[in-house]
Amino acid sequence: MKKFINMLTVTIAMIALVASTASADKLAGIISAKDNKGPKTAKHLKLGIWNTAGNVTTYTIGNSWNDWMLWLVFDKLVEPSPYVGQAENWLATKIEQKSDDARVWEITLREGVKWHDGSEFTAEDVAFTFNYYREGPPNRWTHHASSVPRIEGVEILNKYKVRLTSVKPMPNFDKVTAADIPMIQKKQWENVKKPRQFKGLGIGTGPYILVDYKADEYYKFKANKNYWQGKPLVDELTLIMIKNPQTMFTALRTGEIDGAARSLPPELVKQWKSDPSIELAKAPSLWGVWLDINTGTKPFDNLELRQAISLAIDPEPMLKRIMLDMGKSGSTGWPHVDSFWTRPDAKVDYDPARAKTMLDKLGFVDKDGDGFREAADGSKINWDMVVATNRPLQIRAIEMVVKQLAEVGLKGTIRTLDPASFSGLWRSRKFDMRVADITPHGIADQDMLIILYKGDNKRALVKDKAKAEIVSRWLDADTREKRLKVSFELQDYQNKYPNRIMLWYPDGIFAYNWKAYDNYVSSAGYGIFHKYSFLPSKSREGTSESIQNKIDY
Amino acid sequence: MLYYIRLFLQYAITLLAALTINFILPRLAPGEPINAILPEDAIESMSENQLQRVLADYGLDLPIFEQYWNYITGIFSGDFGISVALGQPVWDSLIERLPWTLLLMGTALLISTIIGVSLGVISAWKRGNIADASITGIVLFIGSLPPFWLAMMLIVLFATNLGWLPAFGAYPIGVATGSMEWYTEVGKRLLMPAGALALVHGATVLLIARSSMLMSLDQDYIMFARAKGLPQRQIFFKHAFRNALLPLYTNVMMGIGGLIGGALVIETVFAYPGLGSLIVTGVSSRDYNLLQGIFVFATVSVIAANFLADLFYPLIDPRTRKGN
Repeated sequence: MKKFINMLTVTIAMIALVASTASADKLAGIISAKDNKGPKTAKHLKLGIWNTAGNVTTYTIGNSWNDWMLWLVFDKLVEPSPYVGQAENWLATKIEQKSDDARVWEITLREGVKWHDGSEFTAEDVAFTFNYYREGPPNRWTHHASSVPRIEGVEILNKYKVRLTSVKPMPNFDKVTAADIPMIQKKQWENVKKPRQFKGLGIGTGPYILVDYKADEYYKFKANKNYWQGKPLVDELTLIMIKNPQTMFTALRTGEIDGAARSLPPELVKQWKSDPSIELAKAPSLWGVWLDINTGTKPFDNLELRQAISLAIDPEPMLKRIMLDMGKSGSTGWPHVDSFWTRPDAKVDYDPARAKTMLDKLGFVDKDGDGFREAADGSKINWDMVVATNRPLQIRAIEMVVKQLAEVGLKGTIRTLDPASFSGLWRSRKFDMRVADITPHGIADQDMLIILYKGDNKRALVKDKAKAEIVSRWLDADTREKRLKVSFELQDYQNKYPNRIMLWYPDGIFAYNWKAYDNYVSSAGYGIFHKYSFLPSKSREGTSESIQNKIDY
Repeated sequence: MLYYIRLFLQYAITLLAALTINFILPRLAPGEPINAILPEDAIESMSENQLQRVLADYGLDLPIFEQYWNYITGIFSGDFGISVALGQPVWDSLIERLPWTLLLMGTALLISTIIGVSLGVISAWKRGNIADASITGIVLFIGSLPPFWLAMMLIVLFATNLGWLPAFGAYPIGVATGSMEWYTEVGKRLLMPAGALALVHGATVLLIARSSMLMSLDQDYIMFARAKGLPQRQIFFKHAFRNALLPLYTNVMMGIGGLIGGALVIETVFAYPGLGSLIVTGVSSRDYNLLQGIFVFATVSVIAANFLADLFYPLIDPRTRKGN
C-alpha cells in the first residue's frame, strides 16, 4: 500500500511538473507598453554581448553567460536543454534505453547532417565526443561522461548508431546528459592535445558558422544555408563586446546594436517599457542568487544552526525591494523553482521566533548583554559576510541578510571583494557566508546538482552522512520515477539543513529593437538570444511559443 | 662615452627589476586564473588532477621558477603565452590593441599638451587677473571630475540626446578597412574618448605649464629683459617660455611612456579596444600571462621614453651637459 501511495505521489508530481514547466514557459512575453509587429526575418543583426568566447569552442566557452553563442555553432543529440525535462530529438532520431538498469543506451543518428566543412556527421563523431569528454582535456561538459554519469563503454554499431554503457544507471540520459553535451567533430579535435591553445574556428553542425572574430571585440557568424533544420531566418549575426552595461543599453537606444544580450536591471524596466523603438521581453532565466554558507568551518558544521539561520532569513522583502518583484523569491528553496526537476510544492519556512528558540537551545545566547549572541563556547560571533563589488543588487541583499540575522541576535560584518578575488573564494573557502549568482547549469541540471552535493560533502568539516546516503540512492536509482523521488527527498533535506539559502530567482528581461527583428522565442535558461530565435518555427520544439503574452509589473 | 655606458647599465638593471615585479605582482593578488577559465560549477565538477590539466594548457601548472624562466625567455622570443581570458596568444592581442591605444592616447596627449600648455602659459602671463582665475578655476573643475562620469555624460549628451557620435567602439564593424567611410567612423569614434582623456589630462598639463612659466617669469633674467625694454613678445617667447619648456618636456616624455598603458576607465566605458581595456580584462580574470605581456610593453616604453629623454636633455639644456 505504502509503495502504491509513493508511486501515485511521484506520478502526480510528474504531471504537475510538466504542467508547471509549460506554464513557466508561457510566462515569457512582451512587457513593453505596446506589442509591435516587426519583421520576422533579417539580413543582419548586431547584438551586444559582454563575455568573451575565444574562438567559440567547448574550451573557450564554459559558462551560462554566453553558452548560447556555442549553441549557434554546435548541436546536441537532443535539445533545447537539460533544464526543462522536455528535450526533443535533434541530432538523434531515437535514444533508447536498452537495459532494465538504465546503464545501456542506444542512439540512432539523423542521416545527412553535415559539419560546416561539408563532411558528414556520423557515429564516429558521437563516439569520439563521449570518449574525448571522458578521457581528453577536461572542460565544463566533462562531468557528463567522466563522473555523473561515468560512461564506461562506447561502441559504434553502424554509421548512424552508437551504444553507450555507464557504470551507474543513467535513467535521465535522454533528457539531461544528451541534452547538454555539444557534439564535436572527430576530424577537427582528434589530434588536439592542448585545446585551449587551438587557434582554428570551431566547426559544428549548427545553424551558424563562425567566419571571423576578435576575442574581446566582435564575433561574426553567417547562416548555415544547408542547415538540416532549414535556412536560419537571419543571414548574418555580429556579436559585439560591450562590457559596460550602461554603454550597451545606450548603444541599443541609439540603434548601434539591435539587441542587448544581458538582462535589463530592474530599475530600468519601468522607464524602458514606454520606449517606442524598444521592445522588452521576459523569459525564464533559471538563474539564482544564493547565500552560500561555508560548511567547512565551525560552527556551520552544525545542521541545526544552519536550520536556525535559514528560519531567520526572509527572501520575500529582498525580491520586493531589490528586484522590484521581477522574479521569484527564494522561499521555494533549492533548486530552481521553474526547473523540471524541482518539487513543485517545495517551501522553506521563515520563522524568526523558532530560530531564536533553536539558537537558545544550541547555547547561542547573549551572555554579555551587547544585543548579539555568543557561541556555545562563549566566543564572540562576528561572521565574515562577503560579496563582490560588481554586484550592486547582491550588496543590497547581503545588507538585508545581515539585518535579518541581527534581528535574531546573530552578528555579521560585510566584506566586499573585487570580482576576481571573490571568485577565488570558491576554492579558498575563506569566508563564513557569501552572496553569489548560481547559473542554470548549476541550478537546474540534475547531473550537475549531484556533483554539487558530492562537493559539499567533500568540503564539509563534518561529513553529512544522511545527505551522502540520499545522494548514493540517487546514483543507484534506475528509473526516472525513482530518481525524481530521491531528488525530492534531497531537496527536502537541503531545504531543512541548507548550506545554500536561495534569496531570489530573477526574471530575464531582454531588450531589442523590434524594427530590426521581431521573431524571438524564449527558452528556459537561455533567455531570448539563442539559436531557436533564428530558426524557422518548425524547429522551435521544446522552447516556448513566440513571445506574445503581456505581463505588467 | 662612459656616461652613456653607465646610463645603459642603469636602465638594464631597472628593466630587469621591473620585469620581475611584473611577474610577482599579479600572483600576489587574491584569486587565481582557473576562475576565469571555468565557472564555479565546472570547477566543482573536476578533480584536482583535471584542474591541473586545464592550467597546463597555459603553462600555469609549472613550478614558479620555471614559469619565471619561461616568462623572461619568452620576452626575447615574443612568446608571452596564451591568454586565459581571451584564449589566444598574448602577443597577438597586444599587437591588435597597440595601434588603437597609440591613436587614442597620442591624440589625447597632443590635444591636452597643446591646450594645456597654451592656457597654462597664458594663465601665468596674466597672473592674478580675471583670465588667470577663470582658466585655472574651470580647468581644475573639469580635471577633478571622475573620468568614468565624464565619459558617461559625454555619451548621454553626444550619443543619446544629440545623436551626433557613436556610443562605443574604435571602428565600424563590417565596413571595409581603409575606405573613406571607415576613416570617418574611426575619427568620429575617437572624438569622445580622446576628448574625455584630454580634458582630464589637460588640467595637469596646464598646472605644470603655469607653474613652470611662473618660475621662469620670476627669474632675474626676465627682470633684466624688461629693464632692457625688450618687447613683450620677445620676453615671452625667447626668455620666459623657452626656459619653462624643460619641465614640460619631461612631462610630455613621461606621457609618451604612459601611452602604452592605455586608459583603463575610458577604454572600458567606450568599449575602445586598446591596451587599457585589456588590462581591465587581465586584472578581472587574474590572467597572469596577459598582464605580464601588457606590463612588459608598458615597462619597456616608459623606460625607453625616459632613456630618450635623458639622451636628449643635454641637447635641449646646455646646463645638463657633462662638465657643466
